[in-house]
Amino acid sequence: MTLLDFARGPALEWALIIFVAGSLWRLVGAWLVRREADLSAPRSESTAAGGVRTVFSRFWPRKEFQSKTVYAWVLAYVMHIGLAIVVFLFTPHILFIEGLLGISWPGVSNDFVMFAGAVTIASMVALLVRRLTTPYLKAISNVDDYISWLLTLLPVVTGMMAYAHIGGPYPTVLALHILSVDLMLVWFPFGKLFHAILWVPSRAQLGAAMQRRGVKA
Amino acid sequence: MTVNMEMFKQFAEMLPRLGDNAQPPQMTDAERVSTAKETFIRKLNGRMAIDLESCIHCGHCASACHYFVGTDDPKYVPIRKLDLLKRVYRRELSPLRWLHRLYTHDITVKELQECQELVYDSCTECGRCSMVCPMGINIAGMVNVMRQGMANAGMIPAELMAMEQEQGGHESLFGVGPEQMKGAIMKLQESGLDIPLDKEKADILITTSVIDILLFTDGLIATARIMNHLGLDWTLRSDGYEAANFGLLSGYERVQKAASERIIAAANACGAKTVIIPECGHAYPSMRWEAANEHGGPLPFEVLAISEFLGREVKSGRLKLNALGRSRKVTFHDPCKLARHSGTIEEPRWVLDALGVDFREVESSKELNWCCGGGAGVFLINSAADLRQKAFQIKINQVEKTGADSVVTACGSCRLNFLNGAMRSGWDKGIESLVELVAEALPEQQPTTH
Repeated sequence: MTLLDFARGPALEWALIIFVAGSLWRLVGAWLVRREADLSAPRSESTAAGGVRTVFSRFWPRKEFQSKTVYAWVLAYVMHIGLAIVVFLFTPHILFIEGLLGISWPGVSNDFVMFAGAVTIASMVALLVRRLTTPYLKAISNVDDYISWLLTLLPVVTGMMAYAHIGGPYPTVLALHILSVDLMLVWFPFGKLFHAILWVPSRAQLGAAMQRRGVKA
Repeated sequence: MTVNMEMFKQFAEMLPRLGDNAQPPQMTDAERVSTAKETFIRKLNGRMAIDLESCIHCGHCASACHYFVGTDDPKYVPIRKLDLLKRVYRRELSPLRWLHRLYTHDITVKELQECQELVYDSCTECGRCSMVCPMGINIAGMVNVMRQGMANAGMIPAELMAMEQEQGGHESLFGVGPEQMKGAIMKLQESGLDIPLDKEKADILITTSVIDILLFTDGLIATARIMNHLGLDWTLRSDGYEAANFGLLSGYERVQKAASERIIAAANACGAKTVIIPECGHAYPSMRWEAANEHGGPLPFEVLAISEFLGREVKSGRLKLNALGRSRKVTFHDPCKLARHSGTIEEPRWVLDALGVDFREVESSKELNWCCGGGAGVFLINSAADLRQKAFQIKINQVEKTGADSVVTACGSCRLNFLNGAMRSGWDKGIESLVELVAEALPEQQPTTH
């Protein structure tokens, strides 16, 4: 079995199993921690609407907070949009997903994907520099922040290397790319990458709770 | 109406001695840690679990916190205040606890001691941090859980401990118990003010607070005049008058519940359909949102903040007011616990509109208003004095930008902090109470008789 066979064979299978099972375990486990009914009289009954509103309203900070947060918000958007383009609009990735799930969609040009990848890497470096040079961010950072950063960066870097045929024989670089994706999938349920799932329930529950008290969150 | 500043100065001078009467519980370090942990585990719920799992360490909460913005000190980033709670959650409740226990060490008594400043001195549980969090984490709610754990472990500031022990043990605050309260009310009655005390039956139970009895008496008088002007069937009850709840502020659940239960019992005894909370920020959420859950069932009456009640009366047309005039340039400070925590946002503005003043909104207002820096009992904590003042500077800047001559608020605690902050920094703006402004604008100055 070659390294590439291993990366896209058993390593990928196990990574996907850990990704799915670990994600379900973490989400359901946190969700099932004791919940009690609130017996106070609500100011507003439309809590579901409040929850949905907050899921969407938190896509951008309110103007009162923009001056101090907009730089990080823009960088985060650049990174996330760049990643989305690289992961979901690169034709080989779409073919891989079609093989796995049976669904597909049109891709974009490879040059555009490479540009998106470069922008993603630049934004991630800028975010890391910000984290390392801002005292209050350093104070709240832990090893998870750096592992998650690295395991997000590696697939992008190795993917671009494979596409550009640099860094070694193509099968080896491609194997390293797939292995880095496998690692990222394995880490996903255990670190802060899991916010890709949690942003919906965490925003929704705040919005619903505040709506209950008559406040738009 | 103005505050008697001599009385206020005497009150402020008394604060440094407030903690002298505290009686810290005798516990070993191990008992303190286990008690705090037991409380954390008992109070953590599914919503908090999702929140604690969600933080991405973006630090945006820092930009919303008056203590961080006032100092630029990394230790005041709001989410850091939950470090110990998060560790206990990860080790004891989290779905990945089997993994976290491998590399997450247990909390220690030293860490709890260090945490005291973070959850008491430097957090008013104002909740502004939740309004910027991209993940929607309710940090203030969990700081309250931290306080509950620390309180049960006897690790709270002496000032709050003394107040909580006084309220729990003697049913009094600042030495004012039911007898002193009755004496104060009788004095007001002798001056000609109609205050129905201890009526057997009444539609409305008015509560007050020790601050109104001792210091802001004009607020109590104003409330009585407004209720009489509206011809309402109301009473004050000596068995359930104190709205301030130091159990909530310190985090000590037994005292919190007992304080709420006294009001519930008094309201039930007189068959009140409505309980009105005076200008006291934390007293409102204590009765409005917390009491039913402690009581174990919905409350058989409506709970209204006095500013909320006044707004409704104005909006309905039942309460008509004389215009105070556009020469009165005022702004409004939204108390966090009334606005951001409780949705009492438009009602005070309806009142200010009816008062016909030149109202100027601050830049970040309503549910996004900056905390004054003194809420959740922080005003009483002596070690927090300098930090509080740095946070208060944000309020000064905010109000100055409006060009208003005075700032109106609807919370006694905010008012105390404003007065103290203004005194310390030589700030000359007026600091007014909404209920007192309303009383000033009543068309009929003579109270009616029940």
